[in-house]
Amino acid sequence: MNDQIIFDNVSKFYGDVLGVNRVSLSIPPGITSLVGPNGSGKTTLMNLMTGLIRPSRGQITILGQTPDDPEKLFPLVGYCGQFDSFPKGLTGYEFVSSYLRLSGRDAHECDELAWRAIDMVGLREAANRKAGGYSKGMRQRIRLAQSIAHQPKVLILDEPMNGLDPLVRAETIALFRSFAKDGCHVILSSHVLHEVDIISDQVILMSGGYVVAEGNIQSVRGEISEQPMQIVVRCDHANSLASRFFEEDHIVEVRMHHDKKSLLVKTSDPNRFFLLMNQVALNGHKLESVAPVDDDVNSVYEYLIGGEDGVK
Amino acid sequence: MIGTWWAQTIAVVRLEIKKTFFARRGLWIYLLALAPVALFTMQAVAVRTFRLADPKIPAGGHILSQQEVEEIKTGMTREQLVSKFGPPATSRKRTAQKFDEDGNETSVERENMRYYAAASNVNLILENGVVSTTFINRRFTFEQNNYAFAGVFQFFFIRLAVFFGCLGIFMNLFRGEMLDKSLHYYLLAPIRREILLLGKYLAGLLAASVIFTASAGLQMIATFSAFDSNTISRYLYQENGLSQIAAYLGVTVLACVGYGSVFLAAGLLYRNPIIPAAIVLIWEAANPLLPALLKKFSVIYYLKALCPLQIPADPGMPALLQMLVSNGDPISSYLAVFGLLALSIIVLGASSLKVRTLEINYTTE
Repeated sequence: MNDQIIFDNVSKFYGDVLGVNRVSLSIPPGITSLVGPNGSGKTTLMNLMTGLIRPSRGQITILGQTPDDPEKLFPLVGYCGQFDSFPKGLTGYEFVSSYLRLSGRDAHECDELAWRAIDMVGLREAANRKAGGYSKGMRQRIRLAQSIAHQPKVLILDEPMNGLDPLVRAETIALFRSFAKDGCHVILSSHVLHEVDIISDQVILMSGGYVVAEGNIQSVRGEISEQPMQIVVRCDHANSLASRFFEEDHIVEVRMHHDKKSLLVKTSDPNRFFLLMNQVALNGHKLESVAPVDDDVNSVYEYLIGGEDGVK
Repeated sequence: MIGTWWAQTIAVVRLEIKKTFFARRGLWIYLLALAPVALFTMQAVAVRTFRLADPKIPAGGHILSQQEVEEIKTGMTREQLVSKFGPPATSRKRTAQKFDEDGNETSVERENMRYYAAASNVNLILENGVVSTTFINRRFTFEQNNYAFAGVFQFFFIRLAVFFGCLGIFMNLFRGEMLDKSLHYYLLAPIRREILLLGKYLAGLLAASVIFTASAGLQMIATFSAFDSNTISRYLYQENGLSQIAAYLGVTVLACVGYGSVFLAAGLLYRNPIIPAAIVLIWEAANPLLPALLKKFSVIYYLKALCPLQIPADPGMPALLQMLVSNGDPISSYLAVFGLLALSIIVLGASSLKVRTLEINYTTE
């Protein structure tokens, strides 16, 4: 079975309004974050993956299945969207177990799976209360329980951390990691870039309905050649090292920290810079650390999309 | 696979049935279903109060002939009446105050008497033993009762109550969840959209059938309550009453089957229920005017053929009503049942094509 999620030149238009345009992606297992400002097409991409909307053009396959066939797709996929409405009158437990019953499982199996999922999100005590009366965080957790109850191979999560308190947030991240460790796909969208940075194996940056960049965050950063890479070098003779740097034409800027032991270097050619650092070390300079400081999601986002609304 | 589909259908029905029966916005459907029950209950109370159905002839009395009824005139004395027609069926005396021509208050003894004629009640008011007023009520026979029921059943219950009830129930199955923003719950489940449609349809059908067959049953009980047990037994066991009752209940269920499929499809196509309601209502009403082929694409065409009593067209009826009453192209019951089921299956088949491509777009709702 194909283990990739594939978008092949997918476009979606809502009348004249662009949802996403010419998206071609191949998403491997692991945690993949969709990052972009409001209206950039993250939710559209997730709804397309789950067949809630149909592409105007192009094709999507999820582990070899098309979203047109829910009977085959949803045993593989769990979706925790931002839809905050619940079928009327259901308790949290019924919300999860009824969803499982829809797959044709017997009552006993549904009961077991439902309680297992509810325990995973820590909602057992409130499970027999009406889901409509839950707090925002509890509603988010019961939706998460519903999406993982049938043990899917692909977990799609639209802003899954919204409304969660810090402790539950940490537990939820651990849960996502365990899913990814088991070889599952975890596709999530988030506005909180530092969280994305912590948990993601790869990112998909979106803006205005287009995929701006995708892949491992460091490799994405490496592709942004028009922005000099920023690297902090900690060493014993910062002054002499700074003057050495100025001899190189790929060094754009060097700033010395006030402790006189650190240099912030901007280079237009990171490969030549790291070769240079090898030579510097061989020449007897004692280097404490050499670390890029702008190869995180935040910086990449800033370079490619800019500090637009809704992103922290 | 069939077993899984069946289990999935049952799961959808379980989820839907509670919502359909106890939806707050569905309260008006119960009122609509209970309206004819209230109507027939009021009629039964009136019939019993005025003994229109159930003459009790006293010893020595008799049913007056038409000629005897015509002989009763104002100014006759009580003695003349009793000697000629025997004791009245009912009599009630009381003393009342009355003003004479000079404005003086006088006391009169007033008596209300009733005789029974073949098809009417003859009510007399006597003042000081002399007939001052006569009025005649046509009696309500069981046969008339049956025609009244058949008229209300065909022209109010099926064409309006069941029609709009099904509109409320079946249009909400998808449209209502779209408005509540909860339809994604189903669309994200590993279930074929056709099975989802079938489950929702069956849940709606169960709810509509229970509500409206219960209403039809209560209407019958209300109408029967006006008559004595002998009359009802005769109707049930000697005059095909049981088969008529079964036919009415069956037509009610089939009306839910037919209108249910139509409004389920409409709920997938239209956001505003008024538009399909108006279109289907006009289409159904215009059925007698349609060419033979198009008539068959109407629910009422089949239901009319299945109703156990055809309403006789009265020459004094307005032309429009005569047109509705007429059954110019009658078909057999078997063909009507088959035709209605076939029509419903075609409509549901078309709906399943639509539901396969249904998209969630709550923001535009």
